[in-house]
Amino acid sequence: MPTEPLLSALVLTPGVVALLLLATPREAVRLQRWAGLAASLVTLALALVAWSRFDPANPAFQFVEVRAWLPTVGIAYRLGMDGISLLLVLLTAFLQPLVFISSWKPIQARVKGYVVSMLLLETGILGAFLATDLFLFYVFWELMLLPMYFIIGVWGGDRRIYAAVKFVLFTLAGSLLMLVGIIYLSTLQHAKTGTWSFNYADMVGLSIPMGEGFWHSPQMLLFAAFALAFAIKVPVFPLHTWLPDAHTEAPTGGSIILAGVLLKLGTYGLLRFNRPLFPEAWQRATPLFLTLAVIAIIYGALVAWAQRDMKRLVAYSSVSHMGFIVLGLFAGTLTSTQGALIQMVNHGLSTGALFLLVGVIYDRRHTRMIEDFGGLAAVMPLYTGAFMISTLASIGLPGLNGFVGEFLILTGAFPRHPTAVVLAATGIVLGAVYMLSLVQRVFWNSLRHEENRTLQDLTWQEVLAFAPMGTLMVWIGVHPGTFLSLSEAAVRRLIGG
Amino acid sequence: MSPNDLATILPELMLVLAGGALVLADAFAPSLRPRVGLLAGLSAAVALALRWAGPLPGAVWAGALVVDPLGRFVDSYILAALLLVAVMADPYLARTGARYGEFYGLLLWSASGAMVLAKADSLPVVFVALELLSISLYVLNAFHRESGISLEAGWKYLVVGAFASAFLLFGIALLYGATGSFSLRATAGIIADGSVSGNPLLLAGLALIFTGFAFKLALVPFHAWAPDVYQGAPTPVTAFLSVVPKGAALIVLARVVASVSPQVLTPRWLPLLAAVAVASQILGNLVAISQRDIKRMLAYSGIAHMGYALVGLVAFGLDGLTGVLFYLAAYTFMNIAGFAVVSAFSDSEDEPHLITDLAGQGWERPFLSFTLALSMFSLAGIPPTIGFVAKFLVFRAAVNEHLVWLAVVGVLNSLVSVFFYVRVVYYLYMKPLPRRAPSYSEPWLVRIVAGACALAMVVLGIFPAWLVSVGELAARTLVR
Repeated sequence: MPTEPLLSALVLTPGVVALLLLATPREAVRLQRWAGLAASLVTLALALVAWSRFDPANPAFQFVEVRAWLPTVGIAYRLGMDGISLLLVLLTAFLQPLVFISSWKPIQARVKGYVVSMLLLETGILGAFLATDLFLFYVFWELMLLPMYFIIGVWGGDRRIYAAVKFVLFTLAGSLLMLVGIIYLSTLQHAKTGTWSFNYADMVGLSIPMGEGFWHSPQMLLFAAFALAFAIKVPVFPLHTWLPDAHTEAPTGGSIILAGVLLKLGTYGLLRFNRPLFPEAWQRATPLFLTLAVIAIIYGALVAWAQRDMKRLVAYSSVSHMGFIVLGLFAGTLTSTQGALIQMVNHGLSTGALFLLVGVIYDRRHTRMIEDFGGLAAVMPLYTGAFMISTLASIGLPGLNGFVGEFLILTGAFPRHPTAVVLAATGIVLGAVYMLSLVQRVFWNSLRHEENRTLQDLTWQEVLAFAPMGTLMVWIGVHPGTFLSLSEAAVRRLIGG
Repeated sequence: MSPNDLATILPELMLVLAGGALVLADAFAPSLRPRVGLLAGLSAAVALALRWAGPLPGAVWAGALVVDPLGRFVDSYILAALLLVAVMADPYLARTGARYGEFYGLLLWSASGAMVLAKADSLPVVFVALELLSISLYVLNAFHRESGISLEAGWKYLVVGAFASAFLLFGIALLYGATGSFSLRATAGIIADGSVSGNPLLLAGLALIFTGFAFKLALVPFHAWAPDVYQGAPTPVTAFLSVVPKGAALIVLARVVASVSPQVLTPRWLPLLAAVAVASQILGNLVAISQRDIKRMLAYSGIAHMGYALVGLVAFGLDGLTGVLFYLAAYTFMNIAGFAVVSAFSDSEDEPHLITDLAGQGWERPFLSFTLALSMFSLAGIPPTIGFVAKFLVFRAAVNEHLVWLAVVGVLNSLVSVFFYVRVVYYLYMKPLPRRAPSYSEPWLVRIVAGACALAMVVLGIFPAWLVSVGELAARTLVR
C-alpha cells in the first residue's frame, strides 16, 4: 500500500486551485484561464499515475486512504479506487482540460467564476467516484450541485434560471431521501455490529430484511431511496425531464461535463451501491428497471428524432443511450455490466464531442436550429469530419467505441432477457435514423443560407479540444481490451458478491 | 451566599454592570458614543473568557442555577452571538442616527437574561430571567422611535411576550401545585417516584410551560408575531432576536423534557412535540416561498428551523441533544451572517428589504454577496456547510430512535426550502443589475462579521468534530 496520498491529491488539486483563484483580482483573466487548464492537466497527470500503478488483477480498493473525521458518529474520510472508479476518474480527468480549451473563447464574461465553478465541480465528481465512506460520498455528491447550478444559471442561455433551479430541485429531491437511507443503513449496521460506521465495506453483506410488500420491506425502501437519487441523475425515464432543459441552457463546457460525467454518477451509483448493498431488492426491481430502460431507449430516440434544435436532439439522444447503460447494469451478467461500464465512457466521449461541436457552430451563428443550416460540408470540411466521426461513434459503427459498448450490453443481456434486447435493438436503428438525418440536413443538402457561406472552419483550439476525444473513440473501438481489462476484476467481484 | 457562588455568575454580573456603565456613559459623556459599540463587544469577549476560565460546580445559589457544561455551551453561543451583533450594529446605528449607549446597554442586559435563563433550575428564576431577556428586547425592537413599523414590532413583541409570560407563570404555578417543588431536578425525582404521574395538574402545567416557550421559539401555532417583528425591528436586533432567545428557550425546554422524561413524556408528549415540529417546518417553509421581503422570509425560515431543531428534542438521548446544541450553534452563524449582509444592503429602515433589490449585486459586491449566498446554502442544508452537518445530526438522532418518518418529513421540507433560499442566490448572481442600481454601503465592521460567520460556516461544516464533541460533553449533563 503506497504511503503517499495519491487519491487525495487527485481529488483536491482542482478544489484547492479554485480556492486560490478566488483571491485573484477579477481582471486577471489570462491567469485564471491558464491556472484552470493547468490544474486540470495536473489532475489528469495524477490520474494517469494512478492508472500506471493500478493493479488490474486486484479487485479490492487500491491506494486506500483513511483519516478520522467525525469519530463519534463513525464517519471517516475514506478514499479508494478500484477498476470501476479508475475508468470513470480517467474519463473525468480527461474531459476537464478539453472543457477549458473549448471554453477559451466562448466564455468571456465572469471568467473567474466560471473557472472556479468548473474546478470545484471536478473535485466533487472525482470525490464522489473515489469516496468509500457513504457520508463522504454524499458530501461530494452534493458538492457537485452548486457549481453546476452556477454554471447553468450564470453562463447559460435565455431560460437559464428556470433550467438551473429545475436541475437543483430534481437532484436534491432524490438525494435528500438517499441521505435518510444512508443514515438508516448506518443504524442497521450499528444494530448488527454495535459500532457506528459509514464505511462502504461495512455496509456490504448486511443482509437487510426483505419483508413482504414494499412498505414493510426495509431493503426495498432503502433500495428505492438510493435508486431514486441515482435514477434522477441518469436520468431514467420518466425522471428525465430536467435533462433537456439543463442541457439546452447550459454553456457548452457545462453540457460536456453534464453529459460526459455527471450522468455517469447515476449509473455508477446504481452499480456501486444499489447492487451489492441490496441484492434481493435489486433482483425484485430488475423487471421494472429493464422496462424503464427499454422505454427510455425508444422514447428518447423518437423524441430526439422530432427535435429541431441540435442541442436538444443530442440531449434526448443521451436519454436513449443512458437507457442502454441501465439495461446493461440490470441485465446483470459480467458481459453486460462490463459493456455498461465501457458504454459510460463511450457516451461521455461521443456525446461530449457532439456537444462541443454543436457549441462550435452556435458560437459562429448564434443559432442551433437545424433548418438554419445545410450544406456545411462544403464550407467547413474539418468540422464535418469531426462531426461525422462523433456521429458514427454515437450510433455504434464497428471500429468506433459505441459499437463495443452496445454489442457487449446486448449480447450479455440476451440470454436472460431476450425480449428487452430485441426491443432495445430497435433503438439502435432509430439512433442511426435521427443522427444520420441530422447530419444530412446540416452538412449535406444545398447551402441555402447565404450567411453560412463565410463560416470559419475549426480553429486550432477547437481541433485541440476535439482531437483527443476522436483518438480515444478509435482507440476504444479498435482495442477495447485496454480499458475493459482494468475493470473486469472489480466488476466480477461486485456482481458476484 | 459565598464568594464561590459569586464567582460562578461573574460573566453575567460583568455584563449587567457593563450595560449600566454604557447607559450612564451615554448620559454623562456623550463624546464616548462612537466607542460604545466597541466597549459592548469587548464586554462580550471578556464575559466569554470569564465563562471558560471559571469553574463548573453544577448547582449553585442554593440550587437556583446550574452552572454545568451545558450552561457553558449555551453561554458561549449567546456571547458569540452578542459579540457578532454588537460589531455589526455599530455601522448600522451610525447610519440610521441611533448610536446610543442605551442600545448596547439593553443588548447586554438581554444577553445576561438569556444566559441566566439557560442555566436556571428554579422555575421562578426561569421566569425572572425570561422577563429580563424580553423586556430589554421590547425596547430594542422599537428602537427606531420615528419609524412606524419599528414601533409596531416593539408593540407586537410586547403583547405576545406578555401572553407567553402569563402562560409560563400559570404553568409554573400548576406544576408547583402538583409536585410541591420549584426545582426542575427535584421535579425529576418526584416524577420518577411515580406518585404524581397522571396528575392533571402536572400535565396542564407542563403544557402551559411548553406553550410559553413555544411563543418565544415562534413554533406553530404560536408563530404569528415573528414575521412582523423580524421585519420591523432594527436589523441587528432582528439578528439577535432570531438566535439568542430561541437558543435559551430551547435549552430550558430540554431541561424540562429531561426532568420529566420518560415516565410522563413518552406516551403523551412526544407525539405533541413531533406534531409541533412538523407543523412548524411545513408552515414555515411553505409561507416563506411567497415572501418578497428578505427579513420576513428569514422569519418564516426561522420558524421552520426551530421545527428541525425540535426534531432533536423529540428524539432526545445523547444524539438528539447533541444535535440540538450543534443546530443552535450552526443557526447562529448562518442567521447572523444573513442579517449582517441584509443590514448593509438596505438604505433606510422604512423601506421593505425586497429580495428583488438584490439583483446583480453578486458581481458588484462579491464579498458580502458570497457570504449571503453561503448563508442561504447553509440554511438550506447543502454540504459542505455547517447547516448540512446540523441537519444530518438531528435527522440521524431521529432515525436512530426509530423515527424515520420524522427524518423523511424533515428532508422533504428541506427540499421545499431550497426553492426560496436559492431564489436569493439567483437574484444575486443571475439577474442583471437594474439600471438605477441601489448604491449600498459596505462597512468594514459588517465585512468582519460576515467574514467570521462565513469562515465558521465552512470550516465547521468541513471539520465539525470539535464542535460535536463539545456539544456532546454538554449534552451529557442531561442524558447519560
